[in-house]
Amino acid sequence: MVLGILLALLAGSLVGLQNIFNSKLNERAGTWATTTLVLGLGFLASMTIGFLIEGKQLFALQTMQTWYWFSGLIGVGVVVCMVQGIKRLGPMYAVSIVLTSQLAFALLWDSLGWLGLTQVPFTFKQLIGVLVIVGGILVFKLGGGRVARPVAAK
Amino acid sequence: MIGILFAFLAGAFITLQGVANARIGQDIGTWQAATITQFTGFTAALLILLFVLDGKWQKFKEVKPIYLTGGAFAAIVISSNVTSIQHIGVTLTIAFVLIAQLGLTFLVDRNGWFGVAKTKMGLPQYIGIAMMIAGVAILRF
Repeated sequence: MVLGILLALLAGSLVGLQNIFNSKLNERAGTWATTTLVLGLGFLASMTIGFLIEGKQLFALQTMQTWYWFSGLIGVGVVVCMVQGIKRLGPMYAVSIVLTSQLAFALLWDSLGWLGLTQVPFTFKQLIGVLVIVGGILVFKLGGGRVARPVAAK
Repeated sequence: MIGILFAFLAGAFITLQGVANARIGQDIGTWQAATITQFTGFTAALLILLFVLDGKWQKFKEVKPIYLTGGAFAAIVISSNVTSIQHIGVTLTIAFVLIAQLGLTFLVDRNGWFGVAKTKMGLPQYIGIAMMIAGVAILRF
C-alpha cells in the first residue's frame, strides 16, 4: 500500500518536471523532434537501468505477445491529441479536460478489470472520491487567482 | 468541440498507456515493458519526424542541456507507475500521480524555478489541492 503510494507520488513529480523540461524543448524544436528525443532517451534509460538490474534477463522475452510491440504507439496518440487539444482550447482548458478524462478512465478500468488487471469493484464512495478530485483539479486550473509576476527569471 | 474530443482522448490514452504497461509488465517484467513500449514510440515518432520534415534538431543546442534530459525520467516514471498500479489499482495510482504532478507544478510556478515565470498562487490553487487530497481520502477510507 505505502509503496504503491510513494511510487505514484514519485512518478507524478517526475511527470511534472518532465512536462516543464519538455515544453522548453517544444518551444524551440517543435513537437516531433521533441517527442523523438524524449522517447528515445526514455528507451535508452529504461534499457540501461533494466540491464544493470537484471542483466541479460532483460532480453529474455519468452512470454512476449505481438500486441506488446505496438503498445508504444499509444504514446504517439497521446502527443497528437495533446497538441491538437491545446492548439484548439489553450493549455488551461485542455489540460483540465485531460486530467479529468485520465481519472474517469482509471475508474472505468478498475471497475471493469480489463486486460487482466485486478478488478476493483465500483462503489458509490469511489465515484464521490473521483468527483471531489476532479472538482479540485478544476478549481486549481480554472479558479483564477494566479497572477504572473513580470519579473522574468533567467 | 473537436478540441474537447482531442483533450478527452489524450486523457484516455494516458490512462490506457499506464494500464497496458502494467499488463505487459506483469507478463514480461517492468523494465522490459518500459524498454519495448518506448522503443516502439521512439521509432514511430522518428518516422513521423522524417515524414513531416519539421526536424529542428539544431535548435536543441539553444536549450539548456539539462532540459534535454527530461525523457530519461520516463524510465522511473513508467516502472513506478506499473508497480503502483499493481499494488493499489489504477484509480488511486492516477489520483496520487495527479496530486504530485499538480503539486510540483504549483511549487515551480510559485517559486519561479527553471526559468518559469514566477506566479503568485491564489486561494483557488490551495483549495484545489486540498480537494484533491480530500478526494483521495474518500477513495481510500
